[in-house]
Formats: sequence, C-alpha cells, structure tokens
Amino acid sequence: MSGRMETVRVVALIAFRNLFASRLKTVIVGGIIFFGALIVVVGNSLLDSVDASMSRSVIGSVAGHIQVYNGKSKDPLEVMGSMSMGDPDISQLDDFAKVRESLLKVPNVKAVVPMGISGALVTSGNTIDLALEKLRGLVKKRDAAKDEAERTRAAALVAAEKGHVRQILSVLQGDLKNTTVLLDEKAVDKDDVAAINRAASDAFWAEFDQKPLDALEFLENRIAPLAADSDLLFLRYVGTDVQTFEKSFDRMKIVDGQTIPPGKRGFLFSKFVYEDQLKLKSARRLDLIKEGMEARGETIAKNLDLQRMVRENKAQVREVLLQLDAPKTAEFRGKLQKFLGATETDVSALLASFFATDDVNFAPRYDFFYKELAPALELYRVRIGDVLTIKAFTRSGYVQSVNVPVYGTFQFQGLEKSTLAGGLNIMDLVSFRDLYGFLTGERLAEINALRATSGAKDISRENAEAELFGSKPVDDTAAAKATAGKGKGTTKGTTEKAGPRHITATATPGVLPPGGSDLGGPLTDKLRRDEARGRVFDSAEVRQGVVLNAAVILKDPKKIPQTMVAIEAQGKADGLPLKAISWQKASGIVGQFIFMARAVLYVAILIIFMIALVIINNALVMATLERVKEIGTLRAIGAQRRFILGMLVIEALVVGLIFGGAGAVVGAGVVKIVGRIGIPATSDIWFFFFSGPRLHPFLGTSNIVFAFLLVLLVSAFSSFYPAWLAMRVTPRQAMAEDE
Amino acid sequence: MTPIVSVKDAVKNYNLGKVVVPALRGVTLDVVSGDFISIAGPSGSGKTTLLNLIGCVDTPTSGSVEVAGQDTRGLSERELTRLRLNTIGFIFQSFNLVSVLSVLQNVELPLLLQRTLSAGERKQRVLGLLDRVGIREYATHRPSELSGGQRQRVAIARALVTKPQLVLADEPTANLDSVTGQHILDLMRELNRSEHTTFIFSTHDQKVMSYANSVVRLADGKLVDRVTPKEAGVSFAVVPS
Repeated sequence: MSGRMETVRVVALIAFRNLFASRLKTVIVGGIIFFGALIVVVGNSLLDSVDASMSRSVIGSVAGHIQVYNGKSKDPLEVMGSMSMGDPDISQLDDFAKVRESLLKVPNVKAVVPMGISGALVTSGNTIDLALEKLRGLVKKRDAAKDEAERTRAAALVAAEKGHVRQILSVLQGDLKNTTVLLDEKAVDKDDVAAINRAASDAFWAEFDQKPLDALEFLENRIAPLAADSDLLFLRYVGTDVQTFEKSFDRMKIVDGQTIPPGKRGFLFSKFVYEDQLKLKSARRLDLIKEGMEARGETIAKNLDLQRMVRENKAQVREVLLQLDAPKTAEFRGKLQKFLGATETDVSALLASFFATDDVNFAPRYDFFYKELAPALELYRVRIGDVLTIKAFTRSGYVQSVNVPVYGTFQFQGLEKSTLAGGLNIMDLVSFRDLYGFLTGERLAEINALRATSGAKDISRENAEAELFGSKPVDDTAAAKATAGKGKGTTKGTTEKAGPRHITATATPGVLPPGGSDLGGPLTDKLRRDEARGRVFDSAEVRQGVVLNAAVILKDPKKIPQTMVAIEAQGKADGLPLKAISWQKASGIVGQFIFMARAVLYVAILIIFMIALVIINNALVMATLERVKEIGTLRAIGAQRRFILGMLVIEALVVGLIFGGAGAVVGAGVVKIVGRIGIPATSDIWFFFFSGPRLHPFLGTSNIVFAFLLVLLVSAFSSFYPAWLAMRVTPRQAMAEDE
Repeated sequence: MTPIVSVKDAVKNYNLGKVVVPALRGVTLDVVSGDFISIAGPSGSGKTTLLNLIGCVDTPTSGSVEVAGQDTRGLSERELTRLRLNTIGFIFQSFNLVSVLSVLQNVELPLLLQRTLSAGERKQRVLGLLDRVGIREYATHRPSELSGGQRQRVAIARALVTKPQLVLADEPTANLDSVTGQHILDLMRELNRSEHTTFIFSTHDQKVMSYANSVVRLADGKLVDRVTPKEAGVSFAVVPS
C-alpha cells in the first residue's frame, strides 16, 4: 500500500517539477484558468446579488411571489410599468372573496392581496386657480362675518390675497409683453391682452370691492385659463386593500403623512412621483443638482445635465414668482438683496441671479433656499391632506371621477428612485373600482336607492312584456328596503352616519341627486370632499368586489413553480379561471433582465472556457510532444500506461486547482471588498437593478463551488487529447535519436 | 548454461504507410546468462530492432523471442511492461534521464514502479549502487548538472537497481568521448562480472566490440556471424586497455 502512495507521490513530484520546469507555459495556462475562475465567481456573485436585491424589491413591493389574474384576459399581466402604452387588457375577477378563499386553500399560500393597476390623468392645481379660490373663500368669510373684529381681520386677509392676485396679473402682463417681443404681434390674441390689461388696472380692483363676485368670475373664467402653469399629470396607481398590502409587502414604507385608514377612500403618492412631478420645479432641480454633486461626485462645471438644470432654474423663475403676493415679494427682495449683496430691485432678476449657481456657491444657496425662501412657498402642488379629483376613462368608455384624500407618500425601499417601479401610487380598492367602471357595492346600493326613489324596476327579459303592460304589481318599496337592509347588514359602526350621505354625495354623472335637495355647486363640492374623507367601507365590501389581479405571498418562496400549478388546479376545482404567473413574468421586462444578464454572462464564461480549453489543450499537446522521449523511457523501464496518464492528468489538475483556486479566492476577495464598499448606482436604471443607491454584492458558496467544478472540468477535458497522445507513445520512441 | 535470451527465426517488418520495410529477416540467436555480448553492424542493419525484440519493447512479426523463459509473442502490453520492469534494465545512447528528477530519484524510479521495497530499502539500494558507479556525491543533483559520463553512470545505476537478469544497452558510448566511453565499458564489464548480469549492447565501434565476449554481426537484417572480438576486429588494430 505504501508502495502505491509512493508511486502517486513520485507521479505528483514529476508533474510538479514539470510544471515548474516549463514555468512560462504554466503561467500562461494558469493565467487563463485564473481569469476564468475569477470571472465566474465575480460575475455570478454580482448577478446573484442583483437578482436577490431586485427580486426582494420586486417581490416585496407590488408583485409578490406569484400574481394571479383571469386566464381569459387578452394581454399578459404586467404589474410593473409595461412597455406598451395604456393598460393591458385584463379581464376582471368578479369576486375577490372567492378568489381569496380558493387561493388560501393552497397550502403554500400565506397571504393574498387584491389589486388593480390602472392610470389616470390628473390636473394639478393652477396657482391662479388656487389663489382665486382662496380669495373667493376670504371674501365670503368677510361677508359672513358676525362681528366687527372678525370682519376687519378677514378684510385684511382679503387685501393680502388681492395683492397676490395682482402680483400674478403683473407676471402675466410681463409674459404677454415678452411674447409680443419674441414672437409676433399676431401671435398674441388682442382680446387676451385687453382682458389682462383690464384685470391689472387699478380701476378693476377699485370695482372689485363693490362687486367682488363678478370680478372673481371674470378672473376665474377669463384670466385663469391664460395662466397656463397647470400640468396634466399621468398617475399610475394600484388599487388595493391598503392594510393587507402594507402587511404583505415589507418594502413599502410611509414617508410623509400616514397610511389610508381602514375602509376609507384615500390616495398615497409614491414619494418619487411626489418629488418628481408635484414639487416646485425650481426646488426639485436644486435637489437634483445637490444629488448629482453629492451622490455621484459630479460638478456643475463639467456635467452638462447639471448645467442644463442651472440654466432652467435661471430662466424659469416664473413658477416661484406666481406664488408671491406683495408682502412675500418684499420679503424675497430684502432677503435676496442681502444674500446676494445686490442693489437690484426686480425680484425676478434677483431670483435669476440667485439660481445662477456654480460649484462653489451651490451649497450655501441650497441651504438659503430651503431655510429662508422655501417656508414662504408652496413646495408641492398637492399637499398632504388635500382632496385629489381623479378622472379616468372606465372600461366602457365614459369618464368617471373620484375624490380621494391624499393621506401621505410612501416608497418601496430599494425602488425609491426608479422610474420603472417608483411611479406606482396607491389607491383604495373602492375608488379604484369606481374609476375602472366596476359596479361596487356602494354604487349598487346607490343605484338601488335611485331606483327606489324613481320607481324604476328590475325587469328581466322574459317578463318584459308582462312588466311593461301590466299584469302583476311589483312591490318596489319592499325591494328597496331589502337592498337597503342588506347594505346595512354588511356595514358597521360609522356606516350609520355615512349611509344617508352617500346617496347625495356620489352622484353619478348625468343623474340628478334625488330627494330634491337644494345643494348648490360649492356646497356639493364640500360634501363630496367630506364624503371622500368620511365614508368608511367595511372589510367585507372591500373584499367582495371585483379585482383585476391578486398578489400571492408564499410561505416557502422556493416553491414558486409548484405553487403556481397548485393555484391553477385549485382555481379549476373551484370554477375560477385563475392564471398564475411568477413575479419575474409579472414584472414584465424588469423580471426578464436578470435572466438576460445571466444568459450573457454564461455565454461569456462559455467563450472564455472554450478559449481556455483550446489553449490548455494546445499547451499540453506541445508539452507531450516535447516529452515523447521521456515518456518512452518511462514506458521502457517499466511504467504502465496509467502511470503516464496519471502524470498528465495530475499536471492538468494541479494547474487547474492552483490557478483556478487562486482565481476563485481572489474573486471572492474582490466580491468581499466590493461588497464592503458597494457599487454606486450611477443612474435611475442602476438604482432599480441595485434596489438602492449602492449594490453590496455578496458571495454565494455555490458560486465558488461552481467555479471550482468548472475549472476542474475544463482541466480534465483539455488533458484528454494530450493524454491520449501520451498513451500512444511506445517505449521504442525512447531509443529514437534526434539527429 | 541456460539461455536467458532465445531468438528463433525472428522477422520484423515495419509498415511505413503503404511500404513494408523489413528490419529483421529471420534472426536466430541464443544468449546465455552472464554473457557480455555486442551486437554490431552498420546502421540500418537491424541492431536496434533486434535489441527492441529482446528488450520486450516490440514483438516479432514472425518467429519467436524468449526472454527469461517467457515467450513474448503471447504477452499483452501490460505483461510486456511488467516483464521489462522486473527482468530487463535499459541503458540508452542519450542517457534518457528524467530531467526534473534528481540523480537519486532517477535511479529510484524503477523501484517505485515495482513497489516491492520499503523506502529505507530503496534508499539503501540506490545509494549503494551510486557508490558502485562512483557518483554518490551527486545523488541530489539534477541530470543537467552532470557531465555525459556521469549521466551514463546514473543510467547504468538505474538499469541495475532492480537487479535485472538482463541489461540492454543501445550504443551506450556513442555520445561520449573515447576515454569516458572506455570508463563506462569498464564499469559495465565489472558489474557483469560481480553481479553476473547479462549485458547485450549494440555498437558499430570496433573498440567497443573488443570488450565483448562475443560479437554478433548483423547486415541487412540478417545475422552474418557470431565471432570473437578479435575475429571481428581483424582489420583494425584492437588495443585493449
């Protein structure tokens, strides 16, 4: 036995010595293997880390492990920003409660979150609209004042707001002048010029105090449309049961405000959308410049993007200007003059020169802006607490609108800055159903109530004739009572209060509110707002309605494919047309990324190792040919073929193990070091893939094992041909003399 | 004495593509144990082929070769290798040492292939032999650090380390100067006498032939005659040292 060990030792010794003797070749061959192993370890670790962080963000934000939707849908479901415009054509799931019940029968299912994803256009406030609304409110308050003290106070406020409106008007006047200079006289409508000039005149404002409401109407109808600073916002939102959503998706975090209370209508802005779309543009640009400088180390002097933002800030001071009334204008003038050390009196010019930032003065100006100027400004066009009116085209094509209070902003950790996923806002499920055109329980009750009051009957096709021409009278009051009773039976607590209100409040467009109420426009508006805030839906109603899809959270996330099969089978058993797709598929192009990247990496690894195979093979063949005489001698003095084979295989394996091992170890070290420092995300897209500002790659043992096996395999394969050559060397070749 | 090598009517043809080249055309030869003989002849006469057949490196196309009582015709590749390992020692014209191993390791190699002796016994045997061939102080050197004569001494030690019955040497002095060659032949002769090992060596050098007990002369693959060195070197002035 010891003899065998000794033989192995001598074979290994010869192998080692040979490797050492042909150092250059060994280093070249080893270098390739080293590089290959390094690429395998680093590349795979990076991809695994991106995969893990991305899947964590995607699974933990909207997708869940599995998405379930109606199998009869025409388009595949895409929960994260689809590439196509518009919503995919998804058939509805009629009763979420049943779907949920069916899904929960599958053993691996932990939670089911109802969803519907859609989008709508929202007009965000126009500064002049807001100012006029405020003015109108103040005027009313003044007129309704009970005592002298209150009247004086209100009058002072009216005067201040009047100042603001006049300020806006002077800005508009300036705009018109600029247009006339820049473009053409003809480009400006003479009537518009006349209207603005009239509104800006002192005479108009003298008249204002006598007939404030007439003047306000003129301003609202004639002037406000000219101040086109409002933006159309396209909001994508997911309608969901917010409480279940929050519980199931650990990545969701409320940033400002609070979550939508249970059973209430409400809207949560994605923090990204809130910052990117709703923030005062000058402030947003300052934020972006700061981020570019601090997070990415860019400079205004060199970066074209930052330069563009500085230029835009300089040129577009109007948005800030419009917000300034007389006292604020004075305040800004004073502060800016002092800060800039300037004598300029025009606030617009002062702001322009304030925004002309460079790398040196940016930081103090940024601080000054937020400390001194921002408190006087409305930084966001929609404030938390406001009621947002969202209008959307329903599936059947008519326009539906819903008022939802904005409760706060949230973000999906890891997807904060991603336009792909960070653009999704959250809405309560009931409002979503309204906008999507589903018949919600509330709406059904409302229609029934309307029917009861108007005397309309539910007529089936078969009985139509009899019903129309009269045979049996129908007790419609009883029917109405039955539905009303049913409605009450399923609601609790606060519904008692809200019950009667909803009939008048959520008037279906085109249908007059019943009961002959004398509610005026503004008052209806107020009530609608109150309704939006006050109405509470119970969890049964939220659950029982229609949804588009549902996110499924699993107990064991490793069993996604099996659970998908189980879900579809369970759906079939329960008569539900359920289709289950994995989160990768549900996240559309996003989920495919990892798959693609991995494919690319594997192809690269394959190519590297093919090259390695050829080079190593070649080197070993050369080595074998050089050693024909030595091999022949060994054979002559009594070495069996397997001795020769062992010698060569050990040589290949030693090179593979030492250099491949070193490559794997260095790769592991690289991953560790990079993991500690982190790879900064240089753009939004990387931010998304890294699921955060930095990717901290981690090392998977499987990657090292994989690299190791790959290297061994390559070494073994590449020594096959040379080994075969070597085995064919005969002892006779030992005698041959090289002349 | 019993013959250790018995060659009967050995024919060896080599196929070089389509052409069949006859290397041996029927050679019959007996070598008795303890003999010290030389195979002589011009190049291409079949010296190396005959040595290959005797050394179990090759088998005859027809006829038979018996080495130490074993007919090589029926043996497999593995068995031939084992026969070479245990019965025959080889000395090559260009020494053929394993360049990456030390002198000691080179000599030890056949013992390692045999796997019969313990490490201690091997070392003792190798060092004793190195002593005998006079290069013990070079035991740890690499072959490349030695002169041609020293290398051939290592090769002789390697050939003898398994105590083979037969040692084959193919032109052992061809790559050495004449004085060194004479020393090598003296060493071989001495080992032949003291160990009773049979030596067969090929050469075309008259001086080298003179060391042999008898000279087997080949020409065109046939045995011409088997004569004494004196008879073989009749036309040369043979001066034994």
